[in-house]
Amino acid sequence: MTQGQKTTLIVIGIVLLVILIPFGYLKGTYNSLVRMDEGIKGAWAQVENQLQRRYDLIPNYVETVKGYAKHEKEVFLKVTQARSKVAGAGAISEKIAANNQLSSALARLLVVVERYPDLKANANFIRLQDELAGTENRISVERRRFNEAVKVFNIKIRSFPTNFIAGMFGFEKATFFEVPKEKQEVPKVKF
Amino acid sequence: MITNRQYSNVKNGLALVTVLFLTLACPIVNHAIEAFPKSRGLINDFANVISPQYEQKLAEVTGELLRKTDVPVVVVTMPDIGGEDYNEYANRLYAAWGIGKKGEDRGVLIFVTLKERKMRIETGYGIEGLIPDGLAGEIRDQYIIPYLKRNQFGEGLLNGTLAIASIIAKDADVSLTGQVPVKRPPKRRSGLSALVTIFLLLLIFFSMGRRRGGLWPLLLLLFMGRGFGYGGGYGRGGFGGSFGGFGGGFGGFGGGLSGGGGAGGGF
Repeated sequence: MTQGQKTTLIVIGIVLLVILIPFGYLKGTYNSLVRMDEGIKGAWAQVENQLQRRYDLIPNYVETVKGYAKHEKEVFLKVTQARSKVAGAGAISEKIAANNQLSSALARLLVVVERYPDLKANANFIRLQDELAGTENRISVERRRFNEAVKVFNIKIRSFPTNFIAGMFGFEKATFFEVPKEKQEVPKVKF
Repeated sequence: MITNRQYSNVKNGLALVTVLFLTLACPIVNHAIEAFPKSRGLINDFANVISPQYEQKLAEVTGELLRKTDVPVVVVTMPDIGGEDYNEYANRLYAAWGIGKKGEDRGVLIFVTLKERKMRIETGYGIEGLIPDGLAGEIRDQYIIPYLKRNQFGEGLLNGTLAIASIIAKDADVSLTGQVPVKRPPKRRSGLSALVTIFLLLLIFFSMGRRRGGLWPLLLLLFMGRGFGYGGGYGRGGFGGSFGGFGGGFGGFGGGLSGGGGAGGGF
């Protein structure tokens, strides 16, 4: 190969690079943002599944507890009210707020349950209690995964140079599912 | 015509572009890898509380179940998890090991931590329907916890494992005999991911280019330009390994996930 041929090849190569690099970069980044965005939506859908599961479980649970603890009307009322607020919530932030409220109402109910040994020995109740504890655990698992996905996405769209591409195509920061500090420990079910 | 000096400038420029490129192409490093112990197989008695006879029996039952139904039931005892929430720990451990096949997520983790005196049955997504939380709670209360309370870990774990194994076997329409599992030659998995391999190859190409001064850097750049779809994915790892028999080592699980189903409690 002569020097001239080499030079020609290099020039062609550079021209190709000038086109290919920006295109490749743009394509890669945009596609990964789309993938992450969809990942967050999928993770949120999983969170909602579990929230719905808890929502469906509550009436049965409350009925069982009522059979043993008729006098605790106020606690039942709070749970029922919080539950109906969850049903009425539309936007993601509303849903998060309503569900946090339901969590704290349920926590109070669980404290009440502790005072009724007969109830705690009831086989049907034990099963429901396990289902509820399992559902709470599922919610926290899916919430953690959702928040992890949101975190990775938010870091990515704010980092250089991805932030330009994110801005160009209108990718916005996603919201975390945050649980208020004092409510984080609920509902711990003891056995 | 280009002079030798100019030519070497072009070359240096290309080298610089290459370096920039490699920097850009570096995938974002995922969050810190959790320090979970490496799996030893289906029975992982890290706390050393299961006697050899029970460990042998556990390995037989879970091994046979895995061969017949493809569902791994994994037993783990830990001496201490540093006060972390045991439910979350079990869930993370499940995901880190990837118990069950990816997408099918059929697997069960029976987890015990000694210092915290907590245990959990964690069911994979694919097992949640078969063993709902209420049933998992029943198995925990009736088959496992009574033994754990008396520090009879081998008995309790075998009892619970048998209960879970019989549910899974019944669902799959097979019967368990308690036969000794047949040793199979271990399957090796390639240690390097595709990305790392490509990266290393590129480095080699690059260094060759430096020495010979030919067209290697250019080829490299073209190659990179095409392979740019890699950036920033964060899927779950998972490798399609399979068991290599208990004498011969452990190929890993298949990337299965659990979603916090099951039941846990103290003892």
